[in-house]
Amino acid sequence: MRLKLISCEVLFREMCHACAHSPHQVDLEFLPKGLHDLGGKPMAARIQEAVDRTTQGEYQAILLGYGLCGNGLDGLTARHTRLVLPRAHDCIALLMGSHARYQAYFDANPGTYYRSTGWLERGQGLQQLTHHTLGFDESLDALVRQYGEDNGRYLFEEMTRYRAQYRKLTFIETGLEAGGAFIAEAAAEAREKGWSFECLPGDLAWLGRLVEGAWAEAEFVVAEPGQRIAASYDNRVVKVQA
Amino acid sequence: MPDLDKLHKAVIEGDWKAAAAVTHAAIAEGVAVLTIVGCLVPAMDEVGRLFECEEYFVPEMLLSARAMKASMEIIRPLLAAAGDQPVGRVVIGTVKGDLHDIGKNLVASMLEGGGFEVIDLGADVAPARFIEAASARHANLVALSALLTVTMPSMKTTIDAFQAAGMRDKVKIMVGGAPVTQQCADAIGADGYSDSAGGAVALARKLVVV
Repeated sequence: MRLKLISCEVLFREMCHACAHSPHQVDLEFLPKGLHDLGGKPMAARIQEAVDRTTQGEYQAILLGYGLCGNGLDGLTARHTRLVLPRAHDCIALLMGSHARYQAYFDANPGTYYRSTGWLERGQGLQQLTHHTLGFDESLDALVRQYGEDNGRYLFEEMTRYRAQYRKLTFIETGLEAGGAFIAEAAAEAREKGWSFECLPGDLAWLGRLVEGAWAEAEFVVAEPGQRIAASYDNRVVKVQA
Repeated sequence: MPDLDKLHKAVIEGDWKAAAAVTHAAIAEGVAVLTIVGCLVPAMDEVGRLFECEEYFVPEMLLSARAMKASMEIIRPLLAAAGDQPVGRVVIGTVKGDLHDIGKNLVASMLEGGGFEVIDLGADVAPARFIEAASARHANLVALSALLTVTMPSMKTTIDAFQAAGMRDKVKIMVGGAPVTQQCADAIGADGYSDSAGGAVALARKLVVV
């Protein structure tokens, strides 16, 4: 098959690895990590644009290297080419290898921040698309400069309060870390924020099945031309609508 | 009323010191406490509108909320002393597994400005805690927040828990948070959904009128 993969850049290393091992020819396009901070509807619009740019007749399917991603994939419509999306809430589920494993780990480990290769090296500080408007990674000095001493300090306290509410940083290790630097950086971030650190083995088999064309109904949703993908609000995560 | 225009302006501009000063001055002049409160929610509605059109972002909203809270701090004891009855009693929290609370905090402040007694349980709140608080404080409204699609199932679990505890018909349950939708609210049996903090106050007022 000839396949087009439109993926979040956070999965860059993992997707390149999967595609290199696929029996099919896969053309890759990566979209910025910061899309998910634009919010569901703007993110969905940007992904739809990428889908719509795909040349008709060139591919047997357009694969999506995403999960539901905060409803960023909700409403995505297949035009002339079928769309294939993993039944995942987000990339962390994909890196863990299954929805069930992610849900179980998430429920057992409340207050966990997740990191992976892409979360560390791509789009640092969410700067690409949100132009610091979110404010969560701003320094105290920057906030004081923008809002004055009193309000700046207040905002810094509000924006960093999450650090006390989270307890753990989990790095999902896939074997693609190319040396120890990623894990060291994640461990350092955990120390800096006062969190415990865990290195969790990931599982790239789900991503592998995406680019191999092994689209079992339980793991993937397939939207044929004219159908749209929608959040299903159950543990199948997404569904298709006519 | 020039003083209350200044309060409105102070909230919009995120100037908590001005908000407090104008509130004190208005009270000293004998302005009715409810009249002062009545200018806070429209001011925050305007802030919400500015957020929707991306003129204001999270920092600006937090500063406006801070100004509104500064005014409410002064007014709250006077409302209690006047024997003022709340419009309703609402238990609010972010559901189990979810630690996000900025939006929920904003809605809690707005509900208080809107005349509600607010019992804020914080974040990562298990269903049993919602039930216990609603029962102990005779709440007639429960407001659930989630910011992750992976924690949204906790909203259904919470609603089902109220059902199992025989309390579902004693409270109205409303839901909100960035990934939450009307379809989701309908699917899980919530009584209402709002996509904005201002909308949440209007919805809350509607839900407590029986």
